[in-house]
Amino acid sequence: MASQNLDPALAAAAARRKDKSCDSPNKKDGHSVSTRLQKELMSLMMKCSGKGISAFPEDDNIFKWIGTIEGPAESVYESLKYKLSLEFPSRYPHVAPTVKFVTPIFHPNVDNDGNICLDILKEKWSALYDVGSLLMSLQILLGEPNNDSPLNVQAAELWTNQAAYKKTVLEKYHKATSK
Amino acid sequence: MAKCTSINFAWDIATKCLSDNTFQKEQHIDRLTRFKPAVEYLLEQGLEILVTEWFMETFQQDLQSRIAPNFWSTFKIDDTSSSTICLDCLAHGINILHSSIVPYANSLSLLASVLPNGGRSLEERFDVLVKALLFYRTPMHFSEVVKTVYSSVFKAFSDGDDKKERIRTSDDSEMDMDESTDIEKDDGDDDEGGDTEHISAPSNSDTLTAFHQINAQLYSLGLLERVCGEPVTSIIHQKIKHHVDQQCAGEFEKSFILSLESWLDNKVMGWLHLVFFGKNAERPQSPVMSQSLQQWKERLQYYLYQTLAELRIQELFNIIVEFPESMSALNDLKSCLEKTDLRTKLVQSLRSAFENRLLHPGVNTTDILTQYISSIRALRVLDPSGIVLELVCEPIRKYLRTREDTVRCIVSSLTDDSSNELADELVKAQPVNVEEGAATGTEEANPFDWQPDPIDADPSQTSKSRRTSDIISTLVNIYGSRELFVNEYRNLLADRILSSFSYDTARELRNLELLKLRFGETQLHQCEVMLKDVADSKRCNTHVLSEKEKKRKEEEKKKEEEEKKKEAGEEEEEGGAAKGGGNVEDGGKEEEKDGEQAEDAIDGGEDKENEEVITPSPTHPSPEGVPSSEEMDFNTMILSAQFWPNLKEEKLEVPQEIKQWMETYTKSYEVLKGMRTLNWKTNLGQVTLDIELRDRTVTLTVSPIQATIIMHFQERERWTIQELSEKMQVPGGAVRRKIAYWQSQGLLKEESHDTFVLVEEKQGSTQNQEMVMIDSDEEAESATASVEDQKEENLQMYWSFITGMLMNLESLPLERIHSMLKMFAIQGPSTTEFTENELRHLLETKVREQQLVYSAGTYRLPQQR
Repeated sequence: MASQNLDPALAAAAARRKDKSCDSPNKKDGHSVSTRLQKELMSLMMKCSGKGISAFPEDDNIFKWIGTIEGPAESVYESLKYKLSLEFPSRYPHVAPTVKFVTPIFHPNVDNDGNICLDILKEKWSALYDVGSLLMSLQILLGEPNNDSPLNVQAAELWTNQAAYKKTVLEKYHKATSK
Repeated sequence: MAKCTSINFAWDIATKCLSDNTFQKEQHIDRLTRFKPAVEYLLEQGLEILVTEWFMETFQQDLQSRIAPNFWSTFKIDDTSSSTICLDCLAHGINILHSSIVPYANSLSLLASVLPNGGRSLEERFDVLVKALLFYRTPMHFSEVVKTVYSSVFKAFSDGDDKKERIRTSDDSEMDMDESTDIEKDDGDDDEGGDTEHISAPSNSDTLTAFHQINAQLYSLGLLERVCGEPVTSIIHQKIKHHVDQQCAGEFEKSFILSLESWLDNKVMGWLHLVFFGKNAERPQSPVMSQSLQQWKERLQYYLYQTLAELRIQELFNIIVEFPESMSALNDLKSCLEKTDLRTKLVQSLRSAFENRLLHPGVNTTDILTQYISSIRALRVLDPSGIVLELVCEPIRKYLRTREDTVRCIVSSLTDDSSNELADELVKAQPVNVEEGAATGTEEANPFDWQPDPIDADPSQTSKSRRTSDIISTLVNIYGSRELFVNEYRNLLADRILSSFSYDTARELRNLELLKLRFGETQLHQCEVMLKDVADSKRCNTHVLSEKEKKRKEEEKKKEEEEKKKEAGEEEEEGGAAKGGGNVEDGGKEEEKDGEQAEDAIDGGEDKENEEVITPSPTHPSPEGVPSSEEMDFNTMILSAQFWPNLKEEKLEVPQEIKQWMETYTKSYEVLKGMRTLNWKTNLGQVTLDIELRDRTVTLTVSPIQATIIMHFQERERWTIQELSEKMQVPGGAVRRKIAYWQSQGLLKEESHDTFVLVEEKQGSTQNQEMVMIDSDEEAESATASVEDQKEENLQMYWSFITGMLMNLESLPLERIHSMLKMFAIQGPSTTEFTENELRHLLETKVREQQLVYSAGTYRLPQQR
């Protein structure tokens, strides 16, 4: 799993305003893409259980997945489960998928709409990454936010005060999940 | 008035002449001289119509009131009448008919001769009248009678023919005699005879005479075809069917078409000639007649082909079984099919034959495959376009897909040495055309050779895909996936390597190269690695052993000079045995000991880096249970875990001495390879043991677990299953099964329940009676995971998918889970279908295990695990 070697520093350096880079799905080469996604799904199912990450096609459409991340242990997000949406462009894996948090999350690098600021989702994306490594990176990001280029300034500022931070996180989480 | 009288007079003469039934040929001239002027006179008076009408009227009345009833009244006999009675009766009837009609016919010709236009229309009317009035009410059994007569005569005819043939072959003079007597018996009528009927018995000759007379009379009345056409046709059809059945049924190694055609030409047509033209063609062959005979012949030929084709179609299953010996039968069928339209019938009949005889659980998969392969070959001969094959074999393919061992059977016969068909096919080496890729094939050689597909072809498929004659492609296409085959081959290869445990891979390499040509390099990369592992293991072994050897030599040098002589390899055996023997003397008790000079024990291991699995071999425990590794010829198989199929996971705690050896080996290996280590699979491998007992020495090659068991008896004479099970960390049941082997060898016996003791001395034959048969399954155990294991694995995978699904999508109903699984989890064609019912079963199990929650028709994961 070479793609697990995510360096948070890199993520920090690369933080940028998100821009929509999602190509409209083009059926042209859909076959090889879906084959690849199929394989990724298989390996994700077989290898990643118990790691607190998971994803599955939302519907019959293999280009649209729902993911789940469990907050990393010993972080403020511990035992919280966040849902994400993953949309794969037709040129995947040459173009990064569009990933968003569906469950509202209080985090320096995620804005109120669930958009994520992470380098490997943007210019650092490589075809070597896959859904598993991506979700794992996001899981790590939960525990180790990049406060230098925050999307949510309030969260970035509050990070130093872990107790208050955790309270806000839980508040937001429970409010969202109890709905 | 003179006119009137002369008219009356002329009329009288004319009518008298015309209606004179007793009219004889001799009087003809005389009559004609009287008749002609009278009629001519009447004609002059313009009374032609009157004369002809009067004649026809008279004839019609006579026919209706007298001739027809007379004729039919002769047929008042039972259907059951014998053929001779029928013949007599028919001959009689026809005779009556003939004699009553002939005068009219003569009158008619008389009349016609004076009529200005030659009386053509009159003759036609006459014929029509005869046919119409005579046959408008044919009694039911008339055709029966005719049929009986003709068939009996035909029989006599062909019997006579046969007889003639027999006689010809036997004695010429005898035949001459026969002929001469026959000729004498014939009453001069047909003195120029000498044809077939002469040979037959006198009664037959009578029959034939009567028969010819009938035919001649009917012919002269113009009724021949009308009366005998239908019965003759049906008789000939029967005869053809009978003949074909008799000649050809069950006989596939000869071509029959030519002989059947000549039979038809000579026998059947000869008879037809006889019927229609009389013997020696005494009747003129009118063009109309020979044309109709020609048509008849064509019809009969068609019928012949049809009959043969039907017979062959019925037997096609057996023909395929006997292919290629049945090639001639197939070619016959092929040419028959070209002339008839029985393709559909063929397809249906063969399909149902397959379904009834092949595709049921009682047939071995290998047999089905053999038949399938033969079918492919045979049907290619029959129909090069492959349509029939496609249509017929669809059920077989479908059925094979449901059998779990199909792939295994195909692959093993592919690589089996015993030169079977598939292995031969493999050598032909064409790349496998999997259907999806069929379009990329090379173009057909010559566009002008192109043939359209037959009409029953499935238009959705390219004709090319059908025309490939490659059997392996066809077999692979049963599943439409190469991967399945490659995986199966990998398992098979693993099995073979691990069970034979020789380092000789020449054959496997050859097979692999052949397979590569078909399946491509990349697919078989793993197998290549596997074979390379074997070679590497060999090298590694030699290396490790030579290291050890060196050390030992040094030590030995230091010790005694005598010992020096003992060197590697073969000497090890001696050493072991010698020591074992020594032991007996020393201890008395310990006689059994195995001086095993193991050749190979396998243990496999995965090294820490996950790169290699090892399988080591032989153990050579020293007599006293003290491990002296030098005495063992210990070989290993080092496998690269990633590339090998999953091996059976079974725990086996090997005896201490072996363990030490393994550790030493691991150390040497680590030195050799650096950064890598070995992970032993102690349950795999082979051990060759020399077991020295008080009264004998036994040499056996056994599995590691069996060896371990017997080695434990070195220390103690008595073990219970439980003790052994603990010691070896093998479940008790397995231990018991393995002990059964030693029981059957007479080395162990069950003293009391679950307690076994070593049998040091054979005590007569009574011992043998206690032998326990080991089930052969045991020996055939394969090293790789079985189908059941794979199924289990599949279930495991499905469960992972289900949890993944439910974790992300919260809750789903059964149908959705099933369709999602089908869509995402079951990749490619699988040997095993996963039905909704099986899924429900799985889910229900999980619900019981509280790993799932079922509510309101949907499944979801429990809240917090």
